[in-house]
Amino acid sequence: MAGCIEFSGISKLFPGVRALADVSFRADSGQVLALLGENGAGKSTLLKILSGDVKPDGGRISIDGAEQSFQSPTDALRAGISVIYQERQLVPAGSVAENIFAGDLPGRSGVVDYKALYEQTAEIIGKFGLDIDPDEPVGRLPIARQQMVEIMKAYRRDSAIIAFDEPTASLTDSEISILFRLINELKESGKIIIYVSHRLSEIFQISDKITVLKDGCLVTTLETARTDEAELIRAMVGRDLGDTYAKLSRNDRLGDTLLEVRDLETEDVHGVSFTLRRGEVLGFAGLIGAGRTEVMRAIFGADRILSGAVVFDGREGGFKSPKEAIDAGVALCPEDRKEQGLVLFRSIRDNITMPVLQKLKRLLFLDKRAGHKLAQSAIARYDIRTPSADKAVVELSGGNQQKVILGRWTSDMMDTKLLILDEPTKGIDVGTKAEVYQIICDFAKQGIGVIFISSELTEVINVADRILVMKGGRITGELTRAEATEENVLALAMKDV
Amino acid sequence: MTGTKAGKFLRGKIAALIAIIIVVGAIFTIANKSYISPKNIMSLMTSISLSGTLAVGLGCLLISGHVDLASGTEGCIAGIVVALLLGTGMPWPVALLLTVVFGCVMGLVHAFLVHVLGFMAFIATIGMSSVYKGLALVISNGANVSISNQAFYTIGSGSLGIFPLPFIIMTVLFIVYSLILKYTKFGRAVYLCGGNVNAARLAGVSPKRVSTILFVNCGAISALAGAIFAARVHMGGPNNVWGAEMDGIAAAVLGGVSFMGGSGNLGGAFVGLILINAFNNGLNAIGLQAYWQTAAQGVILIAALLVDYFGERGRVRALKAAS
Amino acid sequence: MRQKSKFRAFTETKMFTLLLLLAFIVVVFAVLTPEGGFLKPRNIKNIINGMSVNAFLAVGAGCLLVSGQIDLSVGAIGTLSGVVFALLFGKYGVPVIPAVVVSLVVVAAFGFVNALLINRFHTQGFITTMATGLLAQGLGYILDGGKAIAIKSDAFNAVGTKSIFDGYLPISVIIAVVVFIIYGLLMSKTKFGQSVYLVGGNPTASYLSGINPKRISYILFINCSVMGGLAGLMYASRMKSATQSGITNSSFAGMTAAILGGISFGGGAGGMGGAFLGLIILNAFNNGISGVGIPPYWQQVASGALLLIALTFDYVGIRQRAFSLRREAARVGAGANAETKGDVR
Repeated sequence: MAGCIEFSGISKLFPGVRALADVSFRADSGQVLALLGENGAGKSTLLKILSGDVKPDGGRISIDGAEQSFQSPTDALRAGISVIYQERQLVPAGSVAENIFAGDLPGRSGVVDYKALYEQTAEIIGKFGLDIDPDEPVGRLPIARQQMVEIMKAYRRDSAIIAFDEPTASLTDSEISILFRLINELKESGKIIIYVSHRLSEIFQISDKITVLKDGCLVTTLETARTDEAELIRAMVGRDLGDTYAKLSRNDRLGDTLLEVRDLETEDVHGVSFTLRRGEVLGFAGLIGAGRTEVMRAIFGADRILSGAVVFDGREGGFKSPKEAIDAGVALCPEDRKEQGLVLFRSIRDNITMPVLQKLKRLLFLDKRAGHKLAQSAIARYDIRTPSADKAVVELSGGNQQKVILGRWTSDMMDTKLLILDEPTKGIDVGTKAEVYQIICDFAKQGIGVIFISSELTEVINVADRILVMKGGRITGELTRAEATEENVLALAMKDV
Repeated sequence: MTGTKAGKFLRGKIAALIAIIIVVGAIFTIANKSYISPKNIMSLMTSISLSGTLAVGLGCLLISGHVDLASGTEGCIAGIVVALLLGTGMPWPVALLLTVVFGCVMGLVHAFLVHVLGFMAFIATIGMSSVYKGLALVISNGANVSISNQAFYTIGSGSLGIFPLPFIIMTVLFIVYSLILKYTKFGRAVYLCGGNVNAARLAGVSPKRVSTILFVNCGAISALAGAIFAARVHMGGPNNVWGAEMDGIAAAVLGGVSFMGGSGNLGGAFVGLILINAFNNGLNAIGLQAYWQTAAQGVILIAALLVDYFGERGRVRALKAAS
Repeated sequence: MRQKSKFRAFTETKMFTLLLLLAFIVVVFAVLTPEGGFLKPRNIKNIINGMSVNAFLAVGAGCLLVSGQIDLSVGAIGTLSGVVFALLFGKYGVPVIPAVVVSLVVVAAFGFVNALLINRFHTQGFITTMATGLLAQGLGYILDGGKAIAIKSDAFNAVGTKSIFDGYLPISVIIAVVVFIIYGLLMSKTKFGQSVYLVGGNPTASYLSGINPKRISYILFINCSVMGGLAGLMYASRMKSATQSGITNSSFAGMTAAILGGISFGGGAGGMGGAFLGLIILNAFNNGISGVGIPPYWQQVASGALLLIALTFDYVGIRQRAFSLRREAARVGAGANAETKGDVR
């Protein structure tokens, strides 16, 4: 069992970007070291170097004083390092058992011992206290369960060093508590844990030491017990954010009813009714899979409505396609940025002008200059960090990608009346999150009705004017911002119906 | 794809295909009794064996997320190579072995193009198939190269009972490779690479190594198939074999092997193979002109794809209703 | 300074690579052919003449490739259109124009079926189009009974065989160039073209942004079939008959030109200009290689090798670009903030 892992003078340069510069720190056995930093601070690159996926340009990693040189992920695995990535690395058609034991199936002389495989998998699932069938294809599990399978993969390897990259991003609270229990067990058994997260509350709950990165450089390493949120945020963003929520400049003038949903029924949604006024921020809370996304898809015309009514801006009858909804002034920023939101290999301009191509038409051809102007104004408004609007979106950080989507739906050519944001702050850093909150309030001030879906309880109860809680495709309760606390929202989210 | 649920899904698909085979067989038998005569079944088994043997190598590659569209032309050139080698008076086992080694080299070239030069397998192998077609013309001088080694004929035209030897070889290959895919760590790594290359890499599996082995394997099997075909027709010719890879791929895809990789199995490919060929053979049996056969082949493929769609939809509905 | 960087940017494009490759081929064959026959007007005419059929195929396949789909049926469909035309015109006495229209409607129906199967029934494009290709091929056989049908219309045959400007500019080539220009503009300058690139990159995101990926898929499959049909008619016009095999084996030819021209699967890169150059390179190469006295068998080897060489060429280009980017980044070093990154490009 390794006693400590030491990073000394790690540097990494990507084309045009300095990802890491001379980063040195150490993590010890029996401790949880948290890595904290804004997007683009270099945390992910650091983990990739640790896992042997990326080779550093300079510096070295040593375990118990012995220098390591990883040529491939295999070398890192052999040295006892497991990394759990934010992007799940699973085979959807493969069973849970095969995914957990991927690359290292039990058996002798090349032959797989399926009996042992299922037994050992059942044992691991038992340790996690989850109800998962080892035989089930992973692709059929809910996202949160898939994430747990990803964690089981690393747990199974029994590595001395385990690194988590934003493990809770798609987990529900009950799974988060399982994860934390396991991390504590691993810690007590003398493992070295490296934990990357944006969620400060988590970091205080789980870590012993916190290393803060900014722009690829190490800012400081602090003892968790001897620091507080304010100090961490200062270290991360280089300025004092104070209380983000208290500082928000909100809209206080609500208009008339913009959207009315009555007894909405789809394959996954049952009897959902609510109204939204102009200038209002309506929060949707609930656990993952509660049916929030499905309600929005139905309103947006992407899923078929079986019965019930959607009245938007006085217009009866709902929408039959996203195009109809967009033309009427509805915008949807989907939950999964990369899968549903962006065309990754196209430019920022192309991504921003997607819904307004019709308006960019001059006779037969598209007005490229107008499209460019539109993109430039979004880049300026949201402070998107990019050298030019021609850059492919795939090269941007998560926060900047989210801003591109916001820019798409709020460009000068859009007449957005209802903005639906599905998990807009997922996987983006604290500084950008605060910007997004203010952007949401600014929309409301312009009289736009905003629906804000989030699985992060603190943000949804602090940003929204009113919060609807869902479970199992139904609305289980409604609270105003004044009434809402994490406890009562959670109670509604888990209420038996 | 292991386990009861995934297994059920696949069995469902294969069961549907088998049902179609039975219906097709019954119709042709009613139309012409000689359809199920031993003689016709033997000829069916013989005609299956070429594309079927290719389907084994191709199926493994498809599951790993690659493809070899040159597989037929590899067989073509291998047929000529084995004929030329036998022409030197070499004992046939040696000639066959050298031909298979030659197939391995061709597979290695594909792996080089895909992994070292970074081409899509689909394009690299189309390019190579053109090269092989030309090489086949060059080494054969544009004419068939006849084989006079009587012992070698046996591989192509011998039989055990009613089972032709090429069919037996093909079936053994199907069984062996099915077992490898299902029960060995290498076989499971093939699925892992096809399903998610990155996951495979991070789990310590080398996708390049896996697919290099599969490219070489596919080259070897294609060469073997070409040599067996040459033994059957007593010659290697520049117009033989190529094109058969499309039948092999069609069989595999019809049997549930995804073109994207990561799912399906060789059992399905085998059933798909029988379906396509039983149908073609039946059209012959009822005396339909060759012109109609091509069109009918298209129709059966489309029908099979539709059956698959409706079957899958039914299963999804049943699953939803159950939960 | 600005001028220079623009030139440098151009040297890093695929088009530049293709032009270099074309220049290389021209120089090599001009030197190797006896008496410089390669560059004689007659031969140049041969080269451009040879591309008229494949131009249609390259355009149809290129648009589909950008949207992330392929069509293996287009060759058989093209052959079928020639057969349908020859039958209507020769056997039933239908005038040329209506006969052309009907044969194009028939092939458009095949495109519709392809799109229907793929979009409505979620079948895999590769095997679906293979199946409809077999169907089209079989129908062609059934219709013409396996025999070539002569086409006795001077007007129709003129399109594929006559030239203007003292016989140096074939009508078919003018048509091919016009087709490339129209599709080049369509793909790079219009809403539709932009939508094709977006759908190729991410159909879900496009759908949620008000673009209808299915509609685009239907249009492109029907377009690809109609282009195949035009190619088949052009071929029939050049042969003055509808032959049994026709252009059945040309399904890959258009795709090869498009890929050689830098169109990548799923719309990451490439356009019609590249496909045009790709086609010229293919034809120049095939023409040159037969002119320098290479035995016919080796010509086949060489044309396969060309595709691989072109791909390798591209690969080396990308590698160099990535390398120079990295070097620039290293030079800019610690100051690599958003503004300076702009200069690196």
